[in-house]
Amino acid sequence: MRYVNEIWAIATRILTELWRRKRSFIFWAVFPIAILLLNGLIFAERSKTVAPEPLTLGQALERSAPATLIGAALFFSCVGGSVATVVAEREQQTLKRLFLSPLSGFSYFLGICLAHSTIAIAQTLLVSLTALSLGAKFQGHWGLAIAILGLSVLSYVGIGFILGTQLARRTEDVNTLIAAFGVPLLILGGAFVPTFIFPKVLLDLAQYNPIYHMTEALTKVMAEGNGLAEIAGHFGFLVAFAVAMVGSGWLSYRRMLAVERRL
Amino acid sequence: MLKIDNLSKSYGHRAVLQHLSLAIAPSEIYGLLGPNGAGKTTTINLICNLLNADSGTIAIAHAPPNERTKRLIGVLPQETLLYRHLTCQENLTFFARLYGLRGQPLRQQVHQSLAAVGLSDRAQSLAHTLSGGLQRRLSLAIALVHQPQLLILDEPTTGLDIEARFALWELIRTLKQQGLTILLTTHLLDEAERLCDRIGLLKQGHIQAEGTLAELRQLIPAQEIALIQTPDPAAAIARAQTLGWPHRYYGQDLALWLPTAMDLRQIITQFDPIPLESVSRQPIRLEHIYLEVMQQTTAK
Repeated sequence: MRYVNEIWAIATRILTELWRRKRSFIFWAVFPIAILLLNGLIFAERSKTVAPEPLTLGQALERSAPATLIGAALFFSCVGGSVATVVAEREQQTLKRLFLSPLSGFSYFLGICLAHSTIAIAQTLLVSLTALSLGAKFQGHWGLAIAILGLSVLSYVGIGFILGTQLARRTEDVNTLIAAFGVPLLILGGAFVPTFIFPKVLLDLAQYNPIYHMTEALTKVMAEGNGLAEIAGHFGFLVAFAVAMVGSGWLSYRRMLAVERRL
Repeated sequence: MLKIDNLSKSYGHRAVLQHLSLAIAPSEIYGLLGPNGAGKTTTINLICNLLNADSGTIAIAHAPPNERTKRLIGVLPQETLLYRHLTCQENLTFFARLYGLRGQPLRQQVHQSLAAVGLSDRAQSLAHTLSGGLQRRLSLAIALVHQPQLLILDEPTTGLDIEARFALWELIRTLKQQGLTILLTTHLLDEAERLCDRIGLLKQGHIQAEGTLAELRQLIPAQEIALIQTPDPAAAIARAQTLGWPHRYYGQDLALWLPTAMDLRQIITQFDPIPLESVSRQPIRLEHIYLEVMQQTTAK
Protein backbone atom coordinates (compact mmCIF):
# COMPACT_ATOMS: atom_id res chain seq x y z
CA MET A 1 0.00 0.00 0.00
CA ARG A 2 2.91 2.29 0.78
CA TYR A 3 4.21 2.04 -2.79
CA VAL A 4 0.77 2.59 -4.30
CA ASN A 5 0.38 5.73 -2.21
CA GLU A 6 3.79 7.04 -3.26
CA ILE A 7 3.33 6.19 -6.95
CA TRP A 8 -0.07 7.92 -6.92
CA ALA A 9 1.44 10.97 -5.20
CA ILE A 10 4.22 11.32 -7.79
CA ALA A 11 1.91 10.77 -10.76
CA THR A 12 -0.79 13.19 -9.61
CA ARG A 13 1.83 15.80 -8.77
CA ILE A 14 3.33 15.64 -12.29
CA LEU A 15 -0.09 15.74 -13.94
CA THR A 16 -1.29 18.61 -11.74
CA GLU A 17 1.80 20.66 -12.59
CA LEU A 18 1.33 19.95 -16.29
CA TRP A 19 -2.34 20.82 -16.11
CA ARG A 20 -1.47 24.07 -14.36
CA ARG A 21 0.83 25.07 -17.19
CA LYS A 22 -1.51 23.70 -19.88
CA ARG A 23 0.79 24.63 -22.77
CA SER A 24 2.49 21.23 -22.81
CA PHE A 25 -0.89 19.50 -22.80
CA ILE A 26 -2.13 21.62 -25.69
CA PHE A 27 1.03 21.03 -27.76
CA TRP A 28 0.98 17.30 -27.02
CA ALA A 29 -2.58 17.26 -28.38
CA VAL A 30 -2.05 19.55 -31.38
CA PHE A 31 1.19 17.96 -32.61
CA PRO A 32 -0.01 14.35 -33.17
CA ILE A 33 -3.31 15.51 -34.69
CA ALA A 34 -1.42 17.74 -37.13
CA ILE A 35 1.00 14.92 -38.04
CA LEU A 36 -1.89 12.43 -38.36
CA LEU A 37 -3.76 14.66 -40.79
CA LEU A 38 -0.64 15.56 -42.81
CA ASN A 39 0.47 11.92 -43.04
CA GLY A 40 -3.07 10.81 -43.93
CA LEU A 41 -3.43 13.40 -46.68
CA ILE A 42 0.04 12.55 -48.10
CA PHE A 43 -0.78 8.82 -48.02
CA ALA A 44 -4.12 9.35 -49.75
CA GLU A 45 -2.63 11.61 -52.41
CA ARG A 46 0.41 9.40 -53.10
CA SER A 47 -1.81 6.31 -53.36
CA LYS A 48 -3.46 7.83 -56.46
CA THR A 49 -0.21 7.52 -58.39
CA VAL A 50 1.60 4.65 -56.62
CA ALA A 51 -1.00 2.16 -55.33
CA PRO A 52 -3.04 -0.11 -57.60
CA GLU A 53 -6.18 1.29 -55.95
CA PRO A 54 -6.24 4.80 -54.47
CA LEU A 55 -6.83 4.94 -50.70
CA THR A 56 -9.68 6.88 -49.18
CA LEU A 57 -8.75 9.39 -46.46
CA GLY A 58 -10.08 6.94 -43.86
CA GLN A 59 -7.89 4.12 -45.18
CA ALA A 60 -4.89 6.43 -45.32
CA LEU A 61 -5.50 7.45 -41.71
CA GLU A 62 -5.69 3.78 -40.67
CA ARG A 63 -2.10 3.37 -41.91
CA SER A 64 -0.76 6.67 -40.60
CA ALA A 65 -2.39 6.62 -37.13
CA PRO A 66 -0.16 3.91 -35.56
CA ALA A 67 3.06 5.57 -36.73
CA THR A 68 1.77 8.96 -35.61
CA LEU A 69 0.94 7.54 -32.18
CA ILE A 70 4.36 5.97 -31.70
CA GLY A 71 6.35 8.79 -33.24
CA ALA A 72 4.57 12.08 -32.83
CA ALA A 73 2.58 11.42 -29.69
CA LEU A 74 4.18 8.97 -27.28
CA PHE A 75 7.81 9.74 -28.14
CA PHE A 76 7.58 13.42 -27.30
CA SER A 77 5.30 13.08 -24.29
CA CYS A 78 7.03 10.05 -22.75
CA VAL A 79 10.71 10.62 -23.63
CA GLY A 80 10.57 14.44 -23.63
CA GLY A 81 8.22 14.48 -20.65
CA SER A 82 10.33 12.10 -18.54
CA VAL A 83 13.56 13.94 -19.34
CA ALA A 84 11.90 17.27 -18.54
CA THR A 85 10.50 15.92 -15.25
CA VAL A 86 13.87 14.61 -14.04
CA VAL A 87 15.80 17.68 -15.24
CA ALA A 88 13.28 20.09 -13.68
CA GLU A 89 13.51 18.23 -10.36
CA ARG A 90 17.28 18.55 -10.46
CA GLU A 91 17.25 22.16 -11.61
CA GLN A 92 14.69 23.32 -9.04
CA GLN A 93 16.44 21.07 -6.50
CA THR A 94 13.13 19.56 -5.44
CA LEU A 95 14.85 16.21 -5.86
CA LYS A 96 16.76 17.04 -2.66
CA ARG A 97 13.49 17.48 -0.84
CA LEU A 98 12.37 14.08 -2.11
CA PHE A 99 15.59 12.51 -0.81
CA LEU A 100 14.70 13.79 2.66
CA SER A 101 11.37 11.96 2.55
CA PRO A 102 10.97 8.18 2.81
CA LEU A 103 9.99 8.01 -0.90
CA SER A 104 11.49 4.92 -2.54
CA GLY A 105 13.29 5.15 -5.88
CA PHE A 106 11.01 2.40 -7.17
CA SER A 107 7.91 4.51 -6.48
CA TYR A 108 9.48 7.58 -8.05
CA PHE A 109 10.27 5.68 -11.24
CA LEU A 110 6.84 4.08 -11.47
CA GLY A 111 5.13 7.37 -10.56
CA ILE A 112 6.75 9.03 -13.58
CA CYS A 113 5.77 6.00 -15.70
CA LEU A 114 2.16 6.26 -14.50
CA ALA A 115 1.94 10.00 -15.19
CA HIS A 116 3.25 9.61 -18.73
CA SER A 117 1.18 6.49 -19.35
CA THR A 118 -1.89 8.56 -18.49
CA ILE A 119 -0.84 11.15 -21.04
CA ALA A 120 -0.14 8.34 -23.52
CA ILE A 121 -3.64 6.92 -23.02
CA ALA A 122 -5.16 10.35 -23.61
CA GLN A 123 -3.08 10.80 -26.78
CA THR A 124 -4.02 7.32 -28.00
CA LEU A 125 -7.68 8.11 -27.53
CA LEU A 126 -7.29 11.48 -29.22
CA VAL A 127 -5.46 10.15 -32.27
CA SER A 128 -7.70 7.07 -32.59
CA LEU A 129 -10.92 9.05 -32.23
CA THR A 130 -9.75 11.66 -34.75
CA ALA A 131 -8.90 8.93 -37.25
CA LEU A 132 -12.17 7.09 -36.57
CA SER A 133 -14.18 10.28 -36.99
CA LEU A 134 -12.59 10.76 -40.43
CA GLY A 135 -13.50 7.30 -41.63
CA ALA A 136 -10.72 5.02 -40.39
CA LYS A 137 -11.71 1.52 -39.28
CA PHE A 138 -9.26 -0.17 -36.98
CA GLN A 139 -9.15 -3.93 -36.76
CA GLY A 140 -6.96 -6.47 -35.06
CA HIS A 141 -6.46 -7.39 -31.45
CA TRP A 142 -6.91 -4.38 -29.14
CA GLY A 143 -5.16 -6.19 -26.29
CA LEU A 144 -2.10 -6.69 -28.47
CA ALA A 145 -2.22 -3.06 -29.60
CA ILE A 146 -2.38 -1.95 -25.96
CA ALA A 147 0.55 -4.24 -25.10
CA ILE A 148 2.62 -2.67 -27.91
CA LEU A 149 1.68 0.80 -26.72
CA GLY A 150 2.49 -0.14 -23.11
CA LEU A 151 5.89 -1.54 -24.04
CA SER A 152 6.58 1.57 -26.12
CA VAL A 153 5.69 3.83 -23.18
CA LEU A 154 7.93 1.82 -20.82
CA SER A 155 10.80 1.95 -23.33
CA TYR A 156 10.36 5.70 -23.80
CA VAL A 157 10.24 6.42 -20.06
CA GLY A 158 13.36 4.27 -19.62
CA ILE A 159 15.13 6.27 -22.36
CA GLY A 160 13.88 9.46 -20.71
CA PHE A 161 15.48 8.41 -17.41
CA ILE A 162 18.78 7.59 -19.11
CA LEU A 163 18.90 10.92 -20.92
CA GLY A 164 17.52 12.92 -17.99
CA THR A 165 19.88 11.50 -15.38
CA GLN A 166 23.05 11.10 -17.44
CA LEU A 167 23.06 13.62 -20.27
CA ALA A 168 20.71 16.53 -19.59
CA ARG A 169 21.77 18.96 -16.89
CA ARG A 170 19.51 21.89 -17.72
CA THR A 171 16.07 22.34 -19.25
CA GLU A 172 17.68 23.72 -22.42
CA ASP A 173 19.53 20.43 -22.87
CA VAL A 174 16.23 18.58 -23.27
CA ASN A 175 15.45 20.06 -26.70
CA THR A 176 18.91 19.40 -28.10
CA LEU A 177 18.90 15.84 -26.79
CA ILE A 178 15.48 15.08 -28.24
CA ALA A 179 16.50 16.65 -31.55
CA ALA A 180 19.85 14.86 -31.72
CA PHE A 181 18.72 11.40 -30.62
CA GLY A 182 15.03 11.38 -31.32
CA VAL A 183 14.28 12.95 -34.65
CA PRO A 184 16.68 10.79 -36.75
CA LEU A 185 15.36 7.67 -35.02
CA LEU A 186 11.76 8.76 -35.61
CA ILE A 187 12.35 9.35 -39.32
CA LEU A 188 14.21 6.05 -39.63
CA GLY A 189 11.38 4.38 -37.69
CA GLY A 190 8.76 5.46 -40.20
CA ALA A 191 7.00 7.84 -37.86
CA PHE A 192 6.90 10.73 -40.32
CA VAL A 193 7.76 9.11 -43.65
CA PRO A 194 6.41 5.68 -44.62
CA THR A 195 9.13 3.05 -44.61
CA PHE A 196 8.08 1.61 -47.98
CA ILE A 197 9.75 4.58 -49.69
CA PHE A 198 13.08 3.90 -47.92
CA PRO A 199 16.04 2.67 -49.99
CA LYS A 200 17.24 -0.83 -49.05
CA VAL A 201 20.19 0.45 -47.07
CA LEU A 202 17.92 2.51 -44.81
CA LEU A 203 15.49 -0.37 -44.43
CA ASP A 204 18.37 -2.60 -43.33
CA LEU A 205 19.44 0.04 -40.86
CA ALA A 206 15.87 0.44 -39.59
CA GLN A 207 15.92 -3.18 -38.39
CA TYR A 208 18.12 -1.98 -35.51
CA ASN A 209 15.83 0.92 -34.69
CA PRO A 210 13.32 0.11 -31.93
CA ILE A 211 10.92 2.78 -33.17
CA TYR A 212 10.72 0.97 -36.52
CA HIS A 213 9.63 -2.20 -34.69
CA MET A 214 7.09 -0.26 -32.62
CA THR A 215 5.49 1.40 -35.67
CA GLU A 216 5.60 -1.75 -37.77
CA ALA A 217 4.08 -3.89 -35.02
CA LEU A 218 1.31 -1.40 -34.25
CA THR A 219 0.52 -0.75 -37.93
CA LYS A 220 0.33 -4.47 -38.67
CA VAL A 221 -2.04 -5.02 -35.72
CA MET A 222 -4.24 -1.92 -36.04
CA ALA A 223 -4.35 -1.39 -39.79
CA GLU A 224 -3.85 -4.90 -41.15
CA GLY A 225 -5.45 -6.97 -38.39
CA ASN A 226 -2.39 -9.17 -37.79
CA GLY A 227 -1.99 -11.29 -34.66
CA LEU A 228 0.95 -12.03 -32.41
CA ALA A 229 2.30 -14.75 -34.72
CA GLU A 230 2.67 -12.32 -37.63
CA ILE A 231 4.42 -9.67 -35.57
CA ALA A 232 6.45 -12.01 -33.35
CA GLY A 233 9.78 -10.62 -34.60
CA HIS A 234 8.82 -7.00 -33.98
CA PHE A 235 7.15 -7.84 -30.66
CA GLY A 236 10.13 -9.85 -29.41
CA PHE A 237 12.49 -7.01 -30.28
CA LEU A 238 10.18 -4.57 -28.48
CA VAL A 239 9.97 -6.69 -25.31
CA ALA A 240 13.76 -7.05 -25.17
CA PHE A 241 14.21 -3.34 -25.83
CA ALA A 242 11.66 -2.34 -23.16
CA VAL A 243 13.37 -4.57 -20.58
CA ALA A 244 16.78 -3.17 -21.51
CA MET A 245 15.59 0.46 -21.36
CA VAL A 246 13.73 0.08 -18.06
CA GLY A 247 16.78 -1.69 -16.58
CA SER A 248 19.20 0.91 -17.90
CA GLY A 249 16.89 3.74 -16.84
CA TRP A 250 16.73 2.29 -13.34
CA LEU A 251 20.52 1.91 -13.14
CA SER A 252 21.00 5.47 -14.42
CA TYR A 253 18.60 6.71 -11.79
CA ARG A 254 20.48 4.82 -9.05
CA ARG A 255 23.73 6.31 -10.30
CA MET A 256 22.28 9.80 -10.16
CA LEU A 257 21.08 9.15 -6.60
CA ALA A 258 24.58 8.13 -5.53
CA VAL A 259 25.92 11.46 -6.83
CA GLU A 260 23.14 13.84 -5.85
CA ARG A 261 21.73 12.31 -2.67
CA ARG A 262 22.78 15.06 -0.32
CA LEU A 263 21.72 18.58 0.61
CA MET B 1 16.40 12.94 21.14
CA LEU B 2 19.57 13.15 19.04
CA LYS B 3 22.95 11.80 20.08
CA ILE B 4 26.02 11.97 17.90
CA ASP B 5 29.09 10.19 19.13
CA ASN B 6 32.60 10.38 17.69
CA LEU B 7 31.36 10.92 14.15
CA SER B 8 33.89 11.19 11.32
CA LYS B 9 33.37 11.69 7.62
CA SER B 10 35.82 12.35 4.80
CA TYR B 11 35.36 13.14 1.13
CA GLY B 12 38.39 11.51 -0.41
CA HIS B 13 41.38 12.79 1.54
CA ARG B 14 39.48 15.79 2.91
CA ALA B 15 38.27 15.18 6.46
CA VAL B 16 35.00 17.09 6.93
CA LEU B 17 33.97 15.76 10.34
CA GLN B 18 36.47 14.59 12.91
CA HIS B 19 35.17 12.85 16.01
CA LEU B 20 32.12 15.07 16.26
CA SER B 21 30.01 14.48 19.36
CA LEU B 22 26.90 16.28 20.51
CA ALA B 23 23.58 15.54 22.15
CA ILE B 24 20.26 17.33 21.97
CA ALA B 25 17.61 16.82 24.64
CA PRO B 26 13.91 16.67 23.81
CA SER B 27 12.29 20.12 23.36
CA GLU B 28 15.69 21.78 23.16
CA ILE B 29 16.86 24.19 20.46
CA TYR B 30 20.48 23.46 19.70
CA GLY B 31 22.41 25.90 17.52
CA LEU B 32 25.19 24.48 15.39
CA LEU B 33 27.35 27.38 14.27
CA GLY B 34 30.47 27.50 12.21
CA PRO B 35 32.06 28.97 9.12
CA ASN B 36 31.33 27.68 5.61
CA GLY B 37 32.87 24.26 5.18
CA ALA B 38 32.91 23.55 8.92
CA GLY B 39 30.79 20.42 8.42
CA LYS B 40 27.28 21.61 9.32
CA THR B 41 25.57 20.42 6.14
CA THR B 42 27.50 17.14 6.18
CA THR B 43 26.24 16.59 9.73
CA ILE B 44 22.66 17.17 8.56
CA ASN B 45 23.17 14.82 5.59
CA LEU B 46 24.36 12.11 7.98
CA ILE B 47 21.46 12.63 10.39
CA CYS B 48 19.02 12.42 7.46
CA ASN B 49 20.60 9.19 6.20
CA LEU B 50 21.68 10.81 2.94
CA LEU B 51 25.33 9.93 3.59
CA ASN B 52 27.08 7.17 5.49
CA ALA B 53 29.60 8.02 8.20
CA ASP B 54 33.14 6.67 8.07
CA SER B 55 33.02 6.01 11.82
CA GLY B 56 31.04 6.98 14.89
CA THR B 57 27.35 6.70 15.65
CA ILE B 58 24.17 8.73 15.38
CA ALA B 59 21.06 7.90 17.37
CA ILE B 60 17.72 9.53 16.58
CA ALA B 61 15.28 8.57 19.33
CA HIS B 62 17.71 5.72 20.08
CA ALA B 63 17.71 4.42 16.49
CA PRO B 64 20.48 4.75 13.90
CA PRO B 65 19.63 6.80 10.79
CA ASN B 66 17.61 4.70 8.36
CA GLU B 67 14.56 5.04 6.15
CA ARG B 68 12.31 4.77 9.24
CA THR B 69 14.02 7.57 11.14
CA LYS B 70 13.34 9.84 8.16
CA ARG B 71 9.76 9.87 9.41
CA LEU B 72 10.94 11.30 12.75
CA ILE B 73 12.78 14.17 11.11
CA GLY B 74 11.49 17.32 9.44
CA VAL B 75 13.99 19.40 7.50
CA LEU B 76 13.82 23.00 6.38
CA PRO B 77 16.63 23.08 3.81
CA GLN B 78 18.73 26.17 3.07
CA GLU B 79 17.08 26.65 -0.32
CA THR B 80 13.32 27.01 -0.60
CA LEU B 81 12.62 23.78 -2.46
CA LEU B 82 9.00 23.93 -3.55
CA TYR B 83 6.95 22.81 -6.52
CA ARG B 84 6.35 26.25 -7.93
CA HIS B 85 3.28 25.39 -9.98
CA LEU B 86 1.45 23.68 -7.14
CA THR B 87 -0.62 25.52 -4.56
CA CYS B 88 0.42 25.60 -0.92
CA GLN B 89 -2.17 22.96 -0.14
CA GLU B 90 -1.05 20.75 -3.05
CA ASN B 91 2.59 21.00 -2.01
CA LEU B 92 1.69 19.90 1.50
CA THR B 93 -0.67 17.16 0.33
CA PHE B 94 2.05 15.76 -1.93
CA PHE B 95 4.65 15.55 0.82
CA ALA B 96 2.12 14.28 3.38
CA ARG B 97 1.35 11.38 1.01
CA LEU B 98 5.05 10.55 0.73
CA TYR B 99 5.07 10.17 4.52
CA GLY B 100 2.18 7.71 4.30
CA LEU B 101 -0.70 9.97 5.28
CA ARG B 102 -4.06 9.43 3.61
CA GLY B 103 -7.71 10.38 3.92
CA GLN B 104 -8.91 12.38 6.89
CA PRO B 105 -5.57 12.38 8.81
CA LEU B 106 -3.88 13.77 5.69
CA ARG B 107 -6.43 16.55 5.28
CA GLN B 108 -6.22 17.34 8.99
CA GLN B 109 -2.42 17.51 8.99
CA VAL B 110 -2.33 19.70 5.88
CA HIS B 111 -4.86 22.04 7.48
CA GLN B 112 -2.95 22.12 10.79
CA SER B 113 0.43 22.69 9.14
CA LEU B 114 -0.93 25.59 7.09
CA ALA B 115 -2.46 27.06 10.23
CA ALA B 116 0.77 26.56 12.21
CA VAL B 117 2.74 28.71 9.78
CA GLY B 118 -0.06 31.23 9.25
CA LEU B 119 -0.79 30.29 5.64
CA SER B 120 -4.40 29.10 5.96
CA ASP B 121 -5.66 32.03 3.92
CA ARG B 122 -3.10 31.32 1.17
CA ALA B 123 -3.84 27.60 0.88
CA GLN B 124 -4.94 27.94 -2.75
CA SER B 125 -2.13 30.30 -3.81
CA LEU B 126 0.49 28.91 -6.18
CA ALA B 127 3.86 28.57 -4.45
CA HIS B 128 5.63 30.85 -6.93
CA THR B 129 3.23 33.70 -6.20
CA LEU B 130 4.26 33.84 -2.52
CA SER B 131 6.84 36.29 -1.19
CA GLY B 132 10.22 34.95 -0.03
CA GLY B 133 9.09 35.00 3.60
CA LEU B 134 5.87 33.12 2.86
CA GLN B 135 7.73 30.57 0.73
CA ARG B 136 9.99 29.93 3.73
CA ARG B 137 6.89 29.42 5.86
CA LEU B 138 5.47 26.98 3.32
CA SER B 139 8.77 25.15 3.31
CA LEU B 140 8.56 24.96 7.11
CA ALA B 141 4.99 23.66 6.86
CA ILE B 142 6.26 20.87 4.59
CA ALA B 143 8.87 20.02 7.20
CA LEU B 144 6.12 19.81 9.83
CA VAL B 145 3.35 18.07 7.90
CA HIS B 146 4.24 14.55 9.07
CA GLN B 147 4.57 15.64 12.72
CA PRO B 148 8.30 15.05 13.15
CA GLN B 149 9.97 14.79 16.54
CA LEU B 150 13.21 16.41 15.41
CA LEU B 151 13.15 19.55 13.27
CA ILE B 152 16.31 20.55 11.42
CA LEU B 153 16.43 24.17 10.35
CA ASP B 154 19.30 24.86 7.95
CA GLU B 155 19.82 28.63 7.89
CA PRO B 156 16.08 29.24 8.15
CA THR B 157 16.03 33.01 7.80
CA THR B 158 18.79 33.60 5.27
CA GLY B 159 17.59 36.06 2.65
CA LEU B 160 14.50 37.15 4.58
CA ASP B 161 13.68 40.74 5.43
CA ILE B 162 13.69 41.71 9.10
CA GLU B 163 9.91 41.51 9.47
CA ALA B 164 9.73 38.01 8.00
CA ARG B 165 12.71 37.02 10.12
CA PHE B 166 10.99 38.10 13.35
CA ALA B 167 7.83 36.26 12.32
CA LEU B 168 9.78 33.05 11.65
CA TRP B 169 11.65 33.36 14.96
CA GLU B 170 8.32 33.62 16.76
CA LEU B 171 7.12 30.55 14.93
CA ILE B 172 10.23 28.58 15.91
CA ARG B 173 9.72 29.54 19.56
CA THR B 174 6.11 28.34 19.36
CA LEU B 175 7.26 25.00 17.91
CA LYS B 176 9.69 24.57 20.77
CA GLN B 177 6.91 25.27 23.26
CA GLN B 178 4.89 22.54 21.55
CA GLY B 179 7.66 20.09 22.41
CA LEU B 180 9.62 19.88 19.17
CA THR B 181 13.37 19.29 19.36
CA ILE B 182 15.19 21.62 17.00
CA LEU B 183 18.66 21.59 15.46
CA LEU B 184 19.38 25.01 13.98
CA THR B 185 22.30 26.00 11.80
CA THR B 186 22.79 29.65 11.03
CA HIS B 187 25.36 32.28 10.18
CA LEU B 188 23.26 34.90 11.96
CA LEU B 189 24.64 34.95 15.48
CA ASP B 190 21.87 37.12 16.87
CA GLU B 191 19.43 34.49 15.61
CA ALA B 192 21.27 31.82 17.59
CA GLU B 193 21.42 34.11 20.63
CA ARG B 194 17.68 34.71 20.52
CA LEU B 195 16.55 31.16 19.85
CA CYS B 196 19.00 28.56 21.09
CA ASP B 197 19.08 26.88 24.49
CA ARG B 198 22.56 25.58 23.77
CA ILE B 199 25.09 26.33 21.09
CA GLY B 200 27.90 24.29 19.58
CA LEU B 201 30.69 26.07 17.71
CA LEU B 202 31.91 23.84 14.91
CA LYS B 203 35.16 24.25 13.04
CA GLN B 204 37.26 21.79 11.10
CA GLY B 205 34.68 19.12 11.71
CA HIS B 206 34.86 19.28 15.47
CA ILE B 207 32.88 21.03 18.21
CA GLN B 208 35.33 23.60 19.55
CA ALA B 209 33.07 24.95 22.29
CA GLU B 210 29.58 24.13 23.49
CA GLY B 211 27.12 25.29 26.11
CA THR B 212 24.43 27.78 26.97
CA LEU B 213 25.13 31.38 26.09
CA ALA B 214 25.99 32.05 29.74
CA GLU B 215 28.44 29.14 29.74
CA LEU B 216 30.04 30.27 26.50
CA ARG B 217 30.47 33.79 27.89
CA GLN B 218 32.90 32.32 30.43
CA LEU B 219 35.31 31.76 27.53
CA ILE B 220 35.98 35.50 27.46
CA PRO B 221 37.41 36.64 30.81
CA ALA B 222 35.88 40.10 30.69
CA GLN B 223 32.77 41.97 31.75
CA GLU B 224 32.44 44.13 28.67
CA ILE B 225 34.17 45.02 25.46
CA ALA B 226 35.35 48.48 24.44
CA LEU B 227 35.73 49.24 20.75
CA ILE B 228 38.27 51.91 20.00
CA GLN B 229 39.20 53.82 16.86
CA THR B 230 42.50 55.64 17.10
CA PRO B 231 45.12 57.00 14.69
CA ASP B 232 47.77 55.40 16.95
CA PRO B 233 46.70 51.82 17.57
CA ALA B 234 50.18 50.70 18.59
CA ALA B 235 50.15 53.14 21.52
CA ALA B 236 46.63 52.09 22.46
CA ILE B 237 47.60 48.42 22.43
CA ALA B 238 50.69 49.15 24.54
CA ARG B 239 48.51 51.01 27.06
CA ALA B 240 45.96 48.17 27.12
CA GLN B 241 48.76 45.72 27.83
CA THR B 242 49.97 47.89 30.71
CA LEU B 243 46.43 47.87 32.08
CA GLY B 244 46.22 44.08 31.68
CA TRP B 245 43.32 44.36 29.19
CA PRO B 246 43.55 41.75 26.43
CA HIS B 247 42.94 43.14 22.96
CA ARG B 248 41.62 41.72 19.69
CA TYR B 249 40.94 43.04 16.22
CA TYR B 250 37.37 42.52 14.99
CA GLY B 251 37.81 43.59 11.39
CA GLN B 252 39.15 47.16 11.56
CA ASP B 253 37.98 47.71 15.15
CA LEU B 254 40.39 47.41 18.05
CA ALA B 255 38.51 45.64 20.82
CA LEU B 256 39.63 45.70 24.45
CA TRP B 257 38.35 43.25 27.02
CA LEU B 258 37.38 45.18 30.12
CA PRO B 259 37.82 43.22 33.37
CA THR B 260 35.13 45.29 35.08
CA ALA B 261 32.22 47.32 33.83
CA MET B 262 33.23 50.97 33.48
CA ASP B 263 31.77 54.05 31.84
CA LEU B 264 33.18 55.74 28.76
CA ARG B 265 34.81 58.56 30.74
CA GLN B 266 36.82 56.04 32.78
CA ILE B 267 37.96 54.25 29.62
CA ILE B 268 39.01 57.50 27.93
CA THR B 269 40.90 58.60 31.05
CA GLN B 270 42.93 55.38 31.03
CA PHE B 271 44.18 56.20 27.51
CA ASP B 272 45.08 59.84 28.08
CA PRO B 273 46.96 61.36 26.17
CA ILE B 274 46.56 58.88 23.27
CA PRO B 275 44.20 60.43 20.69
CA LEU B 276 40.94 58.48 20.39
CA GLU B 277 38.55 59.06 17.50
CA SER B 278 35.73 57.00 18.97
CA VAL B 279 35.08 54.74 21.92
CA SER B 280 32.06 52.55 22.49
CA ARG B 281 31.10 49.81 24.95
CA GLN B 282 29.43 46.53 24.17
CA PRO B 283 28.26 43.63 26.28
CA ILE B 284 29.94 40.32 25.44
CA ARG B 285 27.91 38.80 22.66
CA LEU B 286 27.96 35.54 20.81
CA GLU B 287 29.83 37.12 17.91
CA HIS B 288 32.77 37.92 20.22
CA ILE B 289 32.79 34.39 21.60
CA TYR B 290 32.48 32.94 18.09
CA LEU B 291 35.39 35.01 16.78
CA GLU B 292 37.51 34.11 19.78
CA VAL B 293 36.87 30.38 19.41
CA MET B 294 37.42 30.44 15.65
CA GLN B 295 40.65 32.45 15.97
CA GLN B 296 41.94 30.13 18.69
CA THR B 297 41.25 27.12 16.49
CA THR B 298 43.08 28.74 13.57
CA ALA B 299 46.04 29.58 15.84
CA LYS B 300 46.20 25.94 16.99
